[in-house]
Amino acid sequence: MGIEVMEDIRKDYVYDLIERGKRVDGRGFRDYREISVERDIIIKAEGSALVRLGDTSVLVGVKLSMGEPFSDTPNKGVLMTNAELRPGASPDFETGPPNENSVELARVVDRGIRGSETIDLEKMCIEEGEKVWMTFIDIHALDNDGNLMDAAALGAIASLLNTRIPNERYGLTGEDTLSIRDTPVAVTMVKIGENILVDPNLHEENAATSRLTVISNADGTVSGMQKSGKEGLKEEEIVEMVGIGIEKAGEIREKYLGDK
Amino acid sequence: MKEEGIELIKDGKRLDGRGFEELRPMKIEVGVLKRADGSCYFEIGNNKALAAVYGPREMHPRHLQNAKTAVVTYRYNMAPFSVDDRKRPGPDRRSVEISKVSRDALDPVILTEYYPKTAIDIYVELLQSDAGTRTAGINAASVALADAGIPMRDIVSSVAVGKIDGEVVLDLNAAEDNHGEADMPMAMVTRTGTITMLQMDGRLTKDEFERGLKLATNACREIYELQRTALIEKYSESVGGGEE
Amino acid sequence: MYKVVVPGDLVSEEVARAGDGTYVDDGKVYAMKYGIVHDKGEIKVVALTGKYMPTNGDIVIGKIIEISFPFWIVDIASPYEARLHTSEFSRGTERRMDFGSMSAHLDLGDLIVAKVLNVDALMRVDLALMDEFRIGDQEGRLVEISHTKVPRVIGRSGSMIKMLKEKCNCFIFIAKNGRIWIKGREENINLALQAVLMIDNEAHTSGLTDRVEHFLDQSCKKKRMESK
Repeated sequence: MGIEVMEDIRKDYVYDLIERGKRVDGRGFRDYREISVERDIIIKAEGSALVRLGDTSVLVGVKLSMGEPFSDTPNKGVLMTNAELRPGASPDFETGPPNENSVELARVVDRGIRGSETIDLEKMCIEEGEKVWMTFIDIHALDNDGNLMDAAALGAIASLLNTRIPNERYGLTGEDTLSIRDTPVAVTMVKIGENILVDPNLHEENAATSRLTVISNADGTVSGMQKSGKEGLKEEEIVEMVGIGIEKAGEIREKYLGDK
Repeated sequence: MKEEGIELIKDGKRLDGRGFEELRPMKIEVGVLKRADGSCYFEIGNNKALAAVYGPREMHPRHLQNAKTAVVTYRYNMAPFSVDDRKRPGPDRRSVEISKVSRDALDPVILTEYYPKTAIDIYVELLQSDAGTRTAGINAASVALADAGIPMRDIVSSVAVGKIDGEVVLDLNAAEDNHGEADMPMAMVTRTGTITMLQMDGRLTKDEFERGLKLATNACREIYELQRTALIEKYSESVGGGEE
Repeated sequence: MYKVVVPGDLVSEEVARAGDGTYVDDGKVYAMKYGIVHDKGEIKVVALTGKYMPTNGDIVIGKIIEISFPFWIVDIASPYEARLHTSEFSRGTERRMDFGSMSAHLDLGDLIVAKVLNVDALMRVDLALMDEFRIGDQEGRLVEISHTKVPRVIGRSGSMIKMLKEKCNCFIFIAKNGRIWIKGREENINLALQAVLMIDNEAHTSGLTDRVEHFLDQSCKKKRMESK
C-alpha cells in the first residue's frame, strides 16, 4: 500500500517538473539513462546479455535446440520469444503464468526481430520438414525501474549477435556463428502532458497517459511498433515520435551493438 | 548414480583442479536490486544466484495469514537459459521441493513473531546453474533477508558435500554431481552448529557421512565470513565518517 | 565511528543491558538486525533498513484507504494498516456519527496527521487525530522515504531540517513513518523535495549536510541568475 500512496504523490511531482521542462533525474527529454550492455555472461546459454538502463536490468539468454519445423514452414527454423517478469524485479510482479504485460513484452521484442528478418530462418533448417534449429529468446526481467521494453529488445539483439550454434552438441558440423542480418533497436517514448519523453523511468511510466515503442533497423526502416496507454496520440505526434525513435536507435546501435 | 569409465579424480586432484576440501571460487554482492526490500547476488563456481526479499508486507490472500507470526514463502526458479538444455519456464516438482526445504532452512532463524499476519517473500533466481544451486540460493537468500532489515537470530550458510571415486569431497560441480556416488546438501547456523537443512541421495557409510558433515561445517564457516563481510562492507565505508 | 553488525553478531556479554534490536542467548547479547550498535545505557541495534513498525506515541502521516464503519482504515506506510474511530470527531459531543456522514469528515485519499494511540498484540493500530490533522489537498506536497532515513533528514539536533527550512523557505513536517509534508511556494517545494530525495539516496554517506547545503546554495544561485 505504501507504494500506491507514494505513486500518487510522485505523479504530481513528475508532472509538475516536466511542465517546467525538467525530469526527475535531471535528464533531458530526449536522453536515455545510462546504458550498459554486458555480453556473454551466461556460459550455459548460446548467447546472452545483461542490459541495464539506469536501475532497470534485464538478462536475456538465447538457447538453441533441435526440433521439428512447423508444417507450413518446413524449410525454416523456429523462433520463440518468451518474457518473464520475475517477482524479484518489482513488488507488483507475481509468480504464476505470464500476464498481459509479459506477453506484450515478449511479442513486441519478437516482432522487431521477426519483422526485420534479423535471423535468416531458412539457414536454420537442418533437414527440410524434419529437423531445424529452434531459437529460444528468454527475457528475464531482474529489476524494473521502467522501460523494460527497450532493455529487453536491446538484450535480445545483443545476445543474438553473440549466439553460437551448438553444432557439436548435436553431432553436426557447420558454421557455429549465427548469421545476423540486421540490428533492430527499440525506442520507447511516453507522453506526459504535451511533452514527449524518451526512455521513461518507472515514475514517468506511471505518470504517462500513453506510450509508443518504435523498433527500427540499421537502414532506418521500422520493423515494429506498439502503442499502449489510456489515451490516444495525434498523427503528428506519432510522426514526430517515429522520427525520434529512428534517431535514438541509430545512436544506441552505434554505441552498444558495434564490434564485440 | 555411479557410471563406469569416468574418472573424477586424477593424481589426487579433481577435474577442475580443486583439492577434496576446496570450495569453488565465490563472489557476493549485497543490495543489487532497486525495487526489492533486500537483495543479494551470490556466485559459486558457475552458479549464479540472485535473491530478492519483500516484506514484511500485507499477506494476500488473507486466509493464509497467521495471526501470530509472519508467513515466509520461498520461490526457487531456474532461468530457462541457466542450463544446457533449455528449461521450460515455470515451476516443476523439483523446484517446488527445493523451495520447501530452502524455506525450512531459513525459517528457524527468522523472528517471524515480530510481524504477525504479514508475509515475508523470498524469490531466488538461478541465472546459471552448475550443481549446488539450492545451496547457492540459500546463501543469497539469507543475506537478502538481512539486507531487507528482517529480524533474524543468525545468517544461514549452505554447501553440499558428496562422494566421487570413493572420496568424500566438498562442493560438487555438475560433472561430479552427475557421475558421483553421493550428494549431500546442507545448511547451517555456524554460530550454534544448528543444521537447518539436510538432504542426501546416493550411498554413504556412516563414517563417510560424518566426515562429510565435518567438511561441510568448516566450509559453511568460510561462506559465513564472506556473507558477513559483504553486509558489513556495504555500509561501513559510507557510514565511517558519519555525522547524524 | 559506527559499528555495523549483522544478525547473530555478539554485541555484549551484559545481559541486563540488552535493548531493542538484540536478543539474549546462552547468557550473551546478540544482534537480531542488520544495523548499527548504539552503546549508551542499553545496548541497541538500530536497523539500517526495514519497514516502519508503529509504536505508541509515534506521529505519522496516513492516507484514508477505506471506510468501514465505525472506522476509517488508514495506510501508514507499514505492513499494518491503522484505524481511526469516528469518536475522534465527536469528542465532547453527544452526537454520534453514522456511516453516511463519515466521508464528509474524511474521504478516501485524504491525508491526515495522527498519533499512534495503541498497538495491540494482533497488531491492530489505533490512531488519534492531531489538532492540525488535515493535510489540505491543494496545499504543499508529500514525499515518502524509508523511515530508517528520517533521522538523517532531521540531522544532528535538528541541523539538517533547520537548514532545509531556511534555505528552501518552506514549512516541512517530518512524520515518523517516513512521510514528509512540504508547504510553501511551488518552486521552493520542488527544491526541498529534491534535497529530501538527495538525502534519501545518500543517507549513509559522510559529509551529507555539507553536500545538501552546497546543492541548495547552487540551486538558489542558478535561480537568481535565471530570473535576471
